[in-house]
Amino acid sequence: MTCEEVIAHLSSYLDHEMDAALAAEMQEHIAQCRNCRVVLDTTQRLIVLLHDEGRHIIPMGERSALFDRLQQAFLNRPPASDSNTTV
Amino acid sequence: MPGLTIDLTIYDDEEALLAGLRRREPDACACLIKRFAPLVYAQALRLLGDADEAEGALQQTFIKACDKLDTYEGRSGLGSWLYRIATNEALMLLRQRSPRVAIDHVADTIQADEIPQHLTPWTLDPAAAALNSELRATLEQALMTLPETLRIVFVLRDLQGLSTEETAAMLGLGESAVKVRLHRARLRLRELLSTYMQEH
Repeated sequence: MTCEEVIAHLSSYLDHEMDAALAAEMQEHIAQCRNCRVVLDTTQRLIVLLHDEGRHIIPMGERSALFDRLQQAFLNRPPASDSNTTV
Repeated sequence: MPGLTIDLTIYDDEEALLAGLRRREPDACACLIKRFAPLVYAQALRLLGDADEAEGALQQTFIKACDKLDTYEGRSGLGSWLYRIATNEALMLLRQRSPRVAIDHVADTIQADEIPQHLTPWTLDPAAAALNSELRATLEQALMTLPETLRIVFVLRDLQGLSTEETAAMLGLGESAVKVRLHRARLRLRELLSTYMQEH
């Protein structure tokens, strides 16, 4: 397996979407190739890093008017057919 | 009208919150918005890359959630449910922005500028790292420099955690196209972040 082939299959390898024989070839190459090892390791770190970032909010700043509009949208929605509520 | 400075613990589980929403309790409404709006906004902004459009998607998400609330069965969790509505809203806006082009047409092979150039190890251990605001800003900025076609797939797969199959269905793409785009997005982000990672 060449470096180019390793790079092309990197995500499949990291996502465990690769058949065992190909994965073994990847491992064999990576064990001997420092550059591919670095790319594999850093890509793996990137995925972990950004997975955690996905649970982080982006500050919305001063958006109280938006919150008010959202709240009004909820409160003004038409009544449900089986609702007993009075609001 | 109650403001958003409410005691969020009065609806400490989703069932109580949902019951409050169905009774149209203003505090339940404020609680839902306070708890989920920033997350939904972040999701919309990452997909759209535009603050005004993200705000529009957020508003539409909560309006649609209002309409569907009485038929919501609670199987997926409120957060996931709102995320899904927000994603569909954002994708609709993207398609309106550049009809059928942006999402559907992209080279499904690795491009020359995606071949890894930075070959220095990163010292940061993401599992142990408490992400600081500088790193967060760098990550978000890098994400926004990705082409829309790659960013959307990356956000759905690696940030939102959808499966390849779910992502493909949501975007109307084949699974192989999703896999290639995700791979290209990761390679580009790795390059974009490598300089920062090697300096810190």
